[in-house]
Amino acid sequence: MFDTVLVANRGEIALRVIRTLRRLGVRSVAVHSDADADAPHVRAADLAVRLGPADRSDSSAAETYLRTDLILDAARRTGAQAVHPGYGFLAENSAFAGACAEAGLVFIGPPPAAVELMGDKINAKEAVRAAGVPVVPGSEEGSPSDEQLVEAADRIGYPVLLKPSAGGGGKGMRLVRDPAELPAELAAARRVARTAFGDDTLLLERWVDQPRHIEVQVLADTHGRTVHLGERECSLQRRHQKLIEEAPSVLLNPRTRAAMGAAAVRAAESCGYTGAGTVEFIVPGGSAGPDADDVLDFFFMEMNTRLQVEHPVTELAVSVAGPEGPQRLDLVEWQLRVAAGEALPFTQSDVSFLGHAIEARICAEDPERDFLPTGGEVLLLDEPSGEGVRVDSGIAPGDRVGSLYDPMLAKVIAYGPDRPTAIRRLRAALAETRILGVTTNTGYLRRLLAQPEVTAGRLDTGLVERSAQQDASLLSSPYTRPESIDLLYFAAALLRQLELGRADASDGWTDPFSLPSGWRLGGEAAWTTHRLRLPGRDPVTVRCRMTTSGEIESAIGFSATAVPEWEVRLDDAPVRRARASRAGDLLRLAVDGLQATFTVVPERTPDGVTHWLGADGDAWPVHPFDVIAERAAAGAVHHGSLTAPMPGTVTVVKVEPGERVRRGQPLLVLEAMKMEHVISAPHDGTVDDLRVAAGATVAMDAPLVTVTPAEEPAAPAPPLPEAAR
Amino acid sequence: MVLSSAQTPPWSPAPSGQATPAAPPFRAADAPAPRLESTADPSAGAANARAHRELVAELRGKLAAAALGGGEKARAKHVARGKLLPRDRVDTLLDPGSPFLELAPLAADGLYDGAAPAAGVIAGVGRVAGREVLVVANDATVKGGTYYPMTVKKHLRAQEVALENRLPCVYLVDSGGAFLPMQDEVFPDRDHFGRIFYNQARLSAAGIPQIAAVLGSCTAGGAYVPAMSDEAVIVRNQGTIFLGGPPLVKAATGEVVTAEELGGGDLHSRTSGVTDHLAEDDAHALSIVRTIVAGLGPRAARPWPLAPVEPPAVDPAGLYGVVPVDPRTPYDVREVIARLVDGSRFAEFKAEYGTTLVTGFARIHGHPVGIVANNGVLFAESALKGAHFVELCDQRGIPLLFLQNITGFMVGRQYEAGGIAKHGAKMVTAVACTRVPKLTVVIGGSYGAGNYSMCGRAYSPRFLWTWPNAKISVMGGEQAASVLATVRRDQLEARGEPWSAEDEDEFKRPVREQYERQGNAYYATARLWDDGVIDPLQTRTVLGLALTACANAPLAEPRPFGVFRM
Repeated sequence: MFDTVLVANRGEIALRVIRTLRRLGVRSVAVHSDADADAPHVRAADLAVRLGPADRSDSSAAETYLRTDLILDAARRTGAQAVHPGYGFLAENSAFAGACAEAGLVFIGPPPAAVELMGDKINAKEAVRAAGVPVVPGSEEGSPSDEQLVEAADRIGYPVLLKPSAGGGGKGMRLVRDPAELPAELAAARRVARTAFGDDTLLLERWVDQPRHIEVQVLADTHGRTVHLGERECSLQRRHQKLIEEAPSVLLNPRTRAAMGAAAVRAAESCGYTGAGTVEFIVPGGSAGPDADDVLDFFFMEMNTRLQVEHPVTELAVSVAGPEGPQRLDLVEWQLRVAAGEALPFTQSDVSFLGHAIEARICAEDPERDFLPTGGEVLLLDEPSGEGVRVDSGIAPGDRVGSLYDPMLAKVIAYGPDRPTAIRRLRAALAETRILGVTTNTGYLRRLLAQPEVTAGRLDTGLVERSAQQDASLLSSPYTRPESIDLLYFAAALLRQLELGRADASDGWTDPFSLPSGWRLGGEAAWTTHRLRLPGRDPVTVRCRMTTSGEIESAIGFSATAVPEWEVRLDDAPVRRARASRAGDLLRLAVDGLQATFTVVPERTPDGVTHWLGADGDAWPVHPFDVIAERAAAGAVHHGSLTAPMPGTVTVVKVEPGERVRRGQPLLVLEAMKMEHVISAPHDGTVDDLRVAAGATVAMDAPLVTVTPAEEPAAPAPPLPEAAR
Repeated sequence: MVLSSAQTPPWSPAPSGQATPAAPPFRAADAPAPRLESTADPSAGAANARAHRELVAELRGKLAAAALGGGEKARAKHVARGKLLPRDRVDTLLDPGSPFLELAPLAADGLYDGAAPAAGVIAGVGRVAGREVLVVANDATVKGGTYYPMTVKKHLRAQEVALENRLPCVYLVDSGGAFLPMQDEVFPDRDHFGRIFYNQARLSAAGIPQIAAVLGSCTAGGAYVPAMSDEAVIVRNQGTIFLGGPPLVKAATGEVVTAEELGGGDLHSRTSGVTDHLAEDDAHALSIVRTIVAGLGPRAARPWPLAPVEPPAVDPAGLYGVVPVDPRTPYDVREVIARLVDGSRFAEFKAEYGTTLVTGFARIHGHPVGIVANNGVLFAESALKGAHFVELCDQRGIPLLFLQNITGFMVGRQYEAGGIAKHGAKMVTAVACTRVPKLTVVIGGSYGAGNYSMCGRAYSPRFLWTWPNAKISVMGGEQAASVLATVRRDQLEARGEPWSAEDEDEFKRPVREQYERQGNAYYATARLWDDGVIDPLQTRTVLGLALTACANAPLAEPRPFGVFRM
C-alpha cells in the first residue's frame, strides 16, 4: 500500500477519498485553488498544496484543478506515490494518466489506454460490440463528416442523439427529432465540442424514447480478475443530470441482471480495464417488470473509467461473502488496493445484493426558478443522521458556494432492507437536511421521491421533466403556495419582531425603551410594520402587535417561558392570531392554532438583515424591503430625465437613442468650469429623449437625456443540457 | 469627622468638580432588601377590582376616542392627501416596536365642546435610533392642527420635559398656527404661543437638539418651529412654510401665488434655505429625521447605576383588588409598593417612626428610587421623617417617587401647638429644593397641603400621573361644603336669621357637586395638571420608562436647601 496519496480533486469526492485514506493509515495530500484555500477538503487532508497563478488572479478549474503540471509538482513536493483523481476534472484524461506514469506516480484508475479507448465513444462502442456487448445503433468509426452523419441518421432512423466524441462528463449532447434540423444542430454541437474539449468530433446514435438509465459497477484487479457489483438505476435525471440513484434497479430480473453484469465484465475486459469502473446501459421503457423471466433489451452507452458520484448506493446495497461473513465494500479502498497491485480476494459468486440503497444529490440550484444555479454563504448546515443514513458532503458552515465549480454540495444516501424503507428514510433524511444561506434542491428532491411513479418504480429518464410539467407544485414547497405563504411571512415578521428585542447593557440592565412591545398608554399596543420580500415575488407588509396589555414585562422581555400572543396581518388580509417563540435556530410559530417550525438564521447584507427560513428541506431568504430606498430608486426614475448640474458644453455623447444601458454607464460628458462631469445612467434601462449632441451648450438644469428603466432584469440564459455522469 | 468609605454608597455622586468615575457594578445580591409580601385579604378585593375595572374601561374608552383625533371624515381627508395620520407618523418615527410614553393624551378632554381631542397635538417620549427623544406631533385632523390654549400648554409642557431631562426634540409640524377665535388665550401672555419659540432658542442654547419635519402647513407663528430648529426637513408638494398664506398675501399686496410657490419644499430647500432636507413623503421625511437623530452622538452617561431588572415578586395584577376606590377607605400602601418595585424588594427607612408616611429604597426597572408614600394623615413625625428621607435621597443622588394618597396634615389645637405647620414646611422645603428627579403618582386623594409636601404639580416633579380613582382638590367636597356652611350659618345667626337643616343641605349640595366634578382625575388631566391618567396596571412600566427618560439628564451638583424652620 502507498503511504502518501495526492487527491487531485475538491469538494465532496475529495473528502470521500481522504476519509478512506485516513482509515487505511495513508497520508493524504489535498490540492486547492485560492478560492478553496479554507475549503473542507483542505482542512481534512494531512497536507495541502496550493494550485493556481502566482498573482492569485484566477481560481478557475482551468488554472488550478485541471493543471497537470501543477498537480504533478504538488505530488513531487509532498512525496506522494499515487494520485487519486476523484471524478470530473482529470479523472478521465488519458494524457493526465500518462503524465502520472511518466512522473513515476501511480494513477489510481485504469491504464491510460483504457481511459483513452473508453473516452472515445465511437471506438469504445466498436470495441465492446466486438466483445459481444449490445450497442445502440449509430454512426460508425473515425471522425465522420456532416454528410456521413446525416446519412447514418437516415439509416438508423430518428430521433437521433448527437454526442461529442471527446469529453468526459459529455457536455453538449443534442437531441434531433426532425431531419431538417440536423445540419444546424451538427454545426452547433461541433462548436460546443470544440469549445469545451478542443475536439469537434461527433458521434450520432438512435435515441431510445422513455429510456431507463441502468449502469453496472465493475471492479478489476491487475491479476486478470474482473467482477461486477450489480447495477444502479439512475433514470431520475433532469437535462441529463442525475438527481436520484438507487441500487438495485426495480426493473431487473435475475437473468437480466446476470446478462448485463456479464456484458459489463466483457466490456471492461475488452479494454484491459483495472480498478473501479462503470458500464452504462440504456434500457428501453415499457420493458417488462422484474417478475417476467425474459432477459430484457439493453444497450451499451459508454463506460466511465472512474469512480461514479453515485458509487455509495453500491457500497451500501452490495454484500460480498467472505470468511468473516457478508461484508460491504469500500470502493475507494479497492481502487487503492488494486492500484497497489493487490488481487481481488472474492469472485463473482460471492457478490449479491442485500437490501436497497438510494441517493439524492443536493445541488446549489433553485427548482422554483428553472433550476438556475444559486450561490451564497453556508450560514447554517445541519446534515441528517439516523438509521441507514449516510451523508457524503463537501461543504461546511461558512463556506462560500460560487459558480466556479460544480454545483453539487452533498449527497444523502439511505439504506433499508427494502426499497420503500430506503425511500422513506431518504425522504426523512432530506427533511432533516438544513442548509441555509444557499438555495438548494433538497425540498424538491423530497417531493420528487413522493411521486407515485417513483414509489412504484415506473422510471425513465424523461420522468423528472414530465412530472414537473404536469404538476408545477412539485417545484415549490407547500409553504410558498398561495394558500399557505402567509405562514412564511408571519414567521419572518415575528422573527424580526423578536430580534428587535431588548438591548441589555453591560451591567445586565435592560432598557425598557428597547423592549419591542409596541407598548402604549391605555392598553392597545401599536402595530409594528415589517416590509418583506421573497425572491421573485412582490414585497409584502406584515403588521404585528401584542395582544397583551398592562405592564410591558408581562408581555415581553423578562420571562423565558412566556410566549406572547400577537395579532398579525398580511397586507390587507384579516387579522390573525399568532404565537412565536425562538429557541436557538428554531422558530416555532402557531397561527390560529396551526403549528409550524422553521430553522432560521440571519444574514447581514448591505441592505439590512435577511432572514433565511427553512422547513422540510426547503429554505427561503426573506429580505427586508426598504420602502424609502425603493422609492428613492423609483424617484430617480420619476425624475428620470438627467439634467445639467452646471452650465457648460457637452463634449461627448456616448450613447444613442434606444440603446440599452447599465446602471452607472457613462452617457455623456459635460465640460463646465474647466471640469468634466460624467452623466451616468441612474439605473438599467433604455436611452430615451436624448436632447443634446456633442458641442451643444447647455444651461444649468437643462434636460439632457432620459433613461427609461428596464422592466425586469434579464434572466440568464438556461444552461445547455449536460450529459449525465 | 471622618467618613469611612463604607458610609458612601456605591451610587453616591462624585464630589463636585470631578468626573464621575466608572461606578462599580451594583450588586443587589450582596445585601438584598427584604421582599414585601401581600397581606391583603383576597376576598375583600373583588369589589375593589370590579370598581377599578370599570374606571379603567372608562379610561380606555376616552383614550381610544382621543386617539382618533378629529374624527373619521377628517382622517379620511388627511389620508387621501397621501399624508400619514399623526399617530402613524409617531410610530414610523420611533424605533420599530419600541414603547412610547405619551404625555397628556387626554388634554382638553371635555373642553372646547370636545372639539380638540388630545388638544390636537401628540406629545411623548420615545426612542429614535436608540436615543430617547421628545416628540411633538400636530394632529391636522383636529381643526387643522391649530393651537387652542391647552394645545399651547401641552406643547410647552413637552418642551419642559425635554429641558429637564435633556431630550432632543422632534417636532412633526402640520398646523395652521394659533386658533384665531381664542387668540386672547393663546397669543399674548408669557406662557402662550410665543413661548414655544423662546423655548426652542433656549433649548438649542442648552445643547438640546431641535429638529423639525414639516409635514403640512406651518403658517404664521408656526413658521418659526422649523425656522427656529437646528435642522429641518420638509416634504415636497405637501409641507409649506410661510408667515402669511396666499389669501393674506393677496389681501396685503395683490400678489397671486400658490402655497407651493409661496412656501413649498422646493422653495425652502433650494432657494430660501429655511429647510435643510427635501423629502418625497412623510415616510421619507421621518427616515431623514431618524438619520439626523442617529448622528446626534451618544447620550450622556446615566447619572445612577442600574441593576438587572426583576419583575415584582407579588403579582401586579392584584393591584386593582388591594386599592379601595374610595380614598376614605384606609389600606396599607405597601400593598401598592410591593406590586411596583423590582422583586417586590423594599428597604424601608424609619419603619417604626411617623408611620403614616412610608419611606424606603427600592428599584423600578433597575433604577434606584426612594419612595415616599402616604399611609394616612400627615403628623409632625411623618413630616419630619419625609424631610429627612428626601434629604437622604438628595445626598445619595437617588430619584424620588411620591405615591400620593393624602387627605392633608393633621389639624387641631394640639397639633398646631406642636408646630405641625413648621414641620410640614420642612418637608415642603426639602421637596421643593432637592436636586434629584421627582416622580409623582396620585394613587388616591390629593388634598390641601398634603398635595404640596407630596410633590404636587407646583413642586415640579419631572412627571406626574394620576390614577382614574384619584381626587384632587384643596380639600374634600364634604369638608369644603361644611366650612362654607359654617361661615354662612355664622353670618345668618349674627343677623338672627334661622337656617333649616334642609336649607343647609341645599346650600351644601352644589359645593359638593362642584368639588366632585373639579376633583375628578379627568378634570385635572384635561387642564394639564398632570401628565396623564394611567391604568394602575401600567404604573410600573410608566415609571420605568420615565426614570429611563430622566436618566438622560445629569444630576445637578448638590446645593443648599432653604432654611428649615426648626
